[in-house]
Amino acid sequence: MHLAVLLAAESVKAKNPIVPETKEIIWAVVSFVIVFGLLAWKAWPAIKKAIADREAHIRTDLERAESAKDEAESSLVEYQRQLAEARNEAGKIIEEARLAADQVRKDLIARAEADATELRGRAQDDIRLATERALADLQSRVAELSIELAEKVVERNLDHDTQIALIESYINQVGSR
Amino acid sequence: MSLGVFVFPPIDELFRWKDIAFKGQFYAINKTSLLVMISSVLILAIFVGGSRRMKLVPKGFQNVLEMTYEFVDRGITRDVIGNDATRFTPFLGSLFLFILFLNFWEVIPFIQFPPTSRFAIPLFLALMVYVLYWFLGFKHQGIKYLTGHLFPAGVPLALYILVTPIELVQILLVRPFSLAVRLLANMMAGHILLTALALLTAYTLKNAPIIALGPFALNIGVTAFEILVGFLQAYIFTLLTAVYIADSLHAEH
Repeated sequence: MHLAVLLAAESVKAKNPIVPETKEIIWAVVSFVIVFGLLAWKAWPAIKKAIADREAHIRTDLERAESAKDEAESSLVEYQRQLAEARNEAGKIIEEARLAADQVRKDLIARAEADATELRGRAQDDIRLATERALADLQSRVAELSIELAEKVVERNLDHDTQIALIESYINQVGSR
Repeated sequence: MSLGVFVFPPIDELFRWKDIAFKGQFYAINKTSLLVMISSVLILAIFVGGSRRMKLVPKGFQNVLEMTYEFVDRGITRDVIGNDATRFTPFLGSLFLFILFLNFWEVIPFIQFPPTSRFAIPLFLALMVYVLYWFLGFKHQGIKYLTGHLFPAGVPLALYILVTPIELVQILLVRPFSLAVRLLANMMAGHILLTALALLTAYTLKNAPIIALGPFALNIGVTAFEILVGFLQAYIFTLLTAVYIADSLHAEH
């Protein structure tokens, strides 16, 4: 197989291809100046600003989240403290209430006992007084009756049967009182 | 059996184009200039048009714009020059995009020619960077910019005989020359390689179809490689520009 590869820079009539051409330089300069000018004026600042804005946004968000977290943590600590305090307070109140109730109970019992004692005493007094009064009544009545009887005896000069009847009627009289 | 002769066209034919407009004038437009203009319009359409309505939450296209900006701003400006040098990002970004778009014409079907393989463009860009870093060097460091390079500290006195001329040539000639030639040579080589493979594919297809697959597959592989080269060269050019600017702003490290 015959393969002839001719890598020939034959008949280079014009300039060497490496030599820079003025017309190409001119358009390259013009193009680059326009590209650089417009990118530097419009594109790069806009892109830079977008990135900076987002960074700032994310930073503030993070900071806000951080401070919210701190706040929440301190609130939690505060709540826990208050809760513990409230529990303590509640316990104290319950204990006090229990003591108070106990005291009230004791007081009530003591008063009830005192009342009962007093009532009992008063009743006994009443009974005693009533008995005394009844006895006094009876005594005075017996005396009256005796006087009456004596008067009647004296008045009539009675016989034996009459006397008995008299006495019986007297006793009956007394017994019916 | 004769397979005919595989003729590779003169190199001139691959790179020099006839005038399309303003024929014969010093400002005549040829394929190279036309591609440069189309690239510029595309860059402006994409980046100026795309950045008109930037949203707080980026979607789709805006991500591309932001990625490009951050790639240059973080990856080149801040990394190489410093965090206080973001004022150079617009220039470096424009430079990067300009070279990148020009390089990519190499692999665009039916165009397949990178304008950066014409010396006019890398030369202009390199000269612009050259002027910029000299200007910045003298603006920020005065004459020390030059003396710092020519008489670096910590070098034994006798060695200045060697170091000073080397540094002089380096800062005066090697830097701009290497910057321009690196881009030019890479794009030229890529273009020649792709042309050769395409012609070889056409030739074998016509004369020995069985082996045509070889150069064809190679052509596809090299095309993919050239996309990488196009990106890499744009990146390297911009990165070295940033290195030279950094060198101008701050005294020798």
